[in-house]
Amino acid sequence: MIMNYFKIAWRNLKQNKFYSIIHISGLAIGLAAAIMVLAWVQSEKSFDTFHKDYKDIYVFNAQFNINGENRVWGGVPGPLAVYSKSISEVGKLVRINSESNQTISDIDRDKILGGLTVAAVDNGFFSLFDFNVIEGQRNHLFPDVNSVVITKSMANKFFGDHNVLGKTLKYRNENFTVTGVLEDFPENSSLQYDAIFPMALYSKEFKAGGGNGDWKTIDEDLGNYSFQTFVKLHANADANKVANKFTKRYMDVRNNDPASKVEFKLQNLADMHLITPDGNKSAYRMVQVFLLVAILLLAIASINYINLSTARSLTRAKEVGVRKVVGANKKQLFFQFIIETIVLFSIALIIALVLVFLLKPFYNSVSGRHLETSFGNTSIWSTIGFALLGMLMAVSIYPAMVLSAFKPLPSLKGKIASGVGIVALRKALVVFQFAVSVILIVGTLVISSQMKHIRKMDLGYDKDYVFSVSFPIEAAKNANAIKSELEKEPSIQMVSATGIGDMSQLDSETSDLEWSGQIQGQNLLIAQASIDNNFIPTMKMQLVEGANFSGLPSDKTSYIVNETAVKEMGLNEPIVGQKIKFHNNEGTIIGVVKDFNFKSLRDPISPLLFNSNWGTQWGWGQNIFYVRTTAGEAQKTIAAVKKQYDKIATDIPFSYQFVDKQFEAKYEADTKTGNLFNFFAALTIFISCLGLLGLTTYTARVRIKEIGVRKVLGASVNNLVKLLVKDFIFLVILAILIASPIAWWLMDSWLSSYAYRIQVSWQILLLAGCSAVVIALLTVSFQAIKAAIANPIKSLRTE
Amino acid sequence: MNSMIKIKDLEKYYRTEEVQTVALNKLTFDVKEGEFVAIMGPSGCGKSTLLNIIGLLDDPDGGSFIFNGIEVAGFNERKRADLRKHNIGFVFQSFNLIDELTVYENVELPLIYTGVKPADRKKRVEEVLEKMQIMHRRNHFPQQLSGGQQQRVAVARAVVNNPKLILADEPTGNLDSSNGNDVMQLLTELNDQGTTVIMVTHSEHDAKYSHRIIRMLDGHKVTEDILV
Repeated sequence: MIMNYFKIAWRNLKQNKFYSIIHISGLAIGLAAAIMVLAWVQSEKSFDTFHKDYKDIYVFNAQFNINGENRVWGGVPGPLAVYSKSISEVGKLVRINSESNQTISDIDRDKILGGLTVAAVDNGFFSLFDFNVIEGQRNHLFPDVNSVVITKSMANKFFGDHNVLGKTLKYRNENFTVTGVLEDFPENSSLQYDAIFPMALYSKEFKAGGGNGDWKTIDEDLGNYSFQTFVKLHANADANKVANKFTKRYMDVRNNDPASKVEFKLQNLADMHLITPDGNKSAYRMVQVFLLVAILLLAIASINYINLSTARSLTRAKEVGVRKVVGANKKQLFFQFIIETIVLFSIALIIALVLVFLLKPFYNSVSGRHLETSFGNTSIWSTIGFALLGMLMAVSIYPAMVLSAFKPLPSLKGKIASGVGIVALRKALVVFQFAVSVILIVGTLVISSQMKHIRKMDLGYDKDYVFSVSFPIEAAKNANAIKSELEKEPSIQMVSATGIGDMSQLDSETSDLEWSGQIQGQNLLIAQASIDNNFIPTMKMQLVEGANFSGLPSDKTSYIVNETAVKEMGLNEPIVGQKIKFHNNEGTIIGVVKDFNFKSLRDPISPLLFNSNWGTQWGWGQNIFYVRTTAGEAQKTIAAVKKQYDKIATDIPFSYQFVDKQFEAKYEADTKTGNLFNFFAALTIFISCLGLLGLTTYTARVRIKEIGVRKVLGASVNNLVKLLVKDFIFLVILAILIASPIAWWLMDSWLSSYAYRIQVSWQILLLAGCSAVVIALLTVSFQAIKAAIANPIKSLRTE
Repeated sequence: MNSMIKIKDLEKYYRTEEVQTVALNKLTFDVKEGEFVAIMGPSGCGKSTLLNIIGLLDDPDGGSFIFNGIEVAGFNERKRADLRKHNIGFVFQSFNLIDELTVYENVELPLIYTGVKPADRKKRVEEVLEKMQIMHRRNHFPQQLSGGQQQRVAVARAVVNNPKLILADEPTGNLDSSNGNDVMQLLTELNDQGTTVIMVTHSEHDAKYSHRIIRMLDGHKVTEDILV
């Protein structure tokens, strides 16, 4: 009997090619898109869960209270490792001190690799985490302080395929023996390093540097929150209670000094990737949004299938009648139709999988994410498998129920009419599809407008044709000499030495500021940056009051603040000349710079203070040079700076960052999200239109006699097209009315995370609505016109 | 001979929102095992309704219908379907073959639903196709056959399960006289072999193949002609 079901399913597919193509293409595109999204969602959710003990592993965060605001820091002090020995719930504790942008070379300095991320780890690292050690003894990877474990990629880069154990590498002018090789860190690992050194090395350097005040070892240093620290708790241990025990130990040692108040928190390893230490769940929410997108895509593709199969059920009625007359019962027919869906679904699934593999590079470039499609990742494929099974059940059961319930006699007589309930459900589903499409169109319009708004916004400085180069730290001492050399190059318009790494992310803040008129207890968290007298003109910032730094020693006690700082400090005119104490260093405000954006545009502009003499007084160097050039001479300028750079730096390869590119990169995730929205919106609309095309074609077919009669009686093509189109357009308009407020609310919530945002205007909603109507109209008109211009005699004869 | 069908005071109404039409009005008659009965009457007299009720495709609104000694009026769909598939074969005016299945598969269908094993199915389908002289068309689809051939397939499908009763609803209505005669010949042969046949027809010629003609008007029996 099963063979008979498959046979008839296959023949039905072949005989009704048009509907089969609509069914299969709609399902295949929907499935392919959903598989891509689900693969990404699952890979995001699988981060760090490949460690077998991940449920018991936690990472420490430190929570401070500054001016009534909770600030969370991802690092904790070293002595927590000492406390752990007497806290019974703790199985193991591992500290990691990582550094990015490091350089390692082979012993002869023939090969120098820069931009590396290295870490110093406690010995328990390799037993706490399940990273794959491919060479070396897992339990004895650090026989001495000059040991290093490197990744397979690093090993290949330095030594090719040869046996690398025992080979020597040079790091910070010291030799290290390779004692182990790790498989490259999995993509879904939050921890990613190129080389791993023993903690003893960091400990040695710490001691050699004189420690931190009275604290001479890392196990004593209470002030340095520099260790990312992981802890494995015994099963059933309460993480909060354990964290409290660590807090108590620490505060006891600190004699409960309010100035040192901190609270340690433990976050599970599995949450680390999607939830930031301060509890920001925006990445997690993004995963949820995309999960919803996948569900919607599957729903819309399912709706097509359900709608068209129930609409077309009338043509299957005779078959159902005959089968029932010759002895089929409802159950047998139900399974027959289920199998038909399975056949169709399987074909669509095969096409979808082919599409996924073909579209993978395109998807990766549009989304900026790496799509995990290897069959080895069982968690991804089992999730996809469950989702597809759910979809298969959803699309197969309802049409099978409708079809198998037909009564034999009316079926044979062709007197089956779709029940009111079925028709209403079909209409509701069309409305749902188009409502989702309209929401996605609005989303696309709003995201692209917002991105354009950001790009075109006046940031308060000119970000074009300025690039920065980070010179070695020692260069700060000779900043003026380097500047003078560079200024000789005609293509350089201006050059400035600063301590600013990233113009659009000035995140060094302090509350160590006193000013006259300060109210008792009034604290201000103010951004701080060290610049020279060239910076403001180089960046084309505007001074609204006072003067720029002079470049003379008197700058030591001069400060420039921004407009927001003036406002929040509550300074009265005249601002220039007012005395302030900054990090205990008394000085004068010499100027007020016009507000400019130095943080994410999601945040409003906050108070800022420019200081000119950081380098000499605080040891924070002005080693980052900002160079203004012109469009035509950028390459020449870069070459000139490199020449200067190479005179000073030997190990670290030269690199430069254009300020506008750095700025763009900050919004890359948003731009990519926008691209993904466009991609999925286009797919959703396309799938919805396929469904609409199928329904219109079918309607035109079943109304062929009516169309013929109307035409004979004098109806024009226009009248007939209107007749066929109006019902569908009504549904689309209804969808627009339902979707518009939802779209407005969703996009308004999304925009609320931007301090500088556009409004979701009625024009955007109107444009989205009109687009949906035009798209729907184009879809349905084709079949409607075709039916309307057909010869009426033919249609009447067909009937 | 025993009565296969006993119908007493059978009633059937068709209702719309405003009008109620009487299709069968207190109809009473019997059909014995092995009989060949023709039912005649003008359009709308209720003969097809009667055939549908006898074929357990429809439910009466009143009266009694005893099939092989069992009261079946009021049976639910499942029970009716079960009784139908083991006892009754249908031949329709419009053949009602499934276009997507071949001749062989159409004839095989009732055996599939009654759970006959594949080897037995093959044997029986081939037997009946030979008997109906359409074996050479076994792999053709219905639309590739003439009307006469299609109706032979339909008869083959009706008899493949060896039903006790064959219900034929104007079996020659869509056929020319030559093919029509062939079909009537087939039905007569089946009846000679012991199958009870009830046939609805407009054709006096066809009705003469039967043993008894029941003439209906407005939902009830008006005359009964015994031919044999």
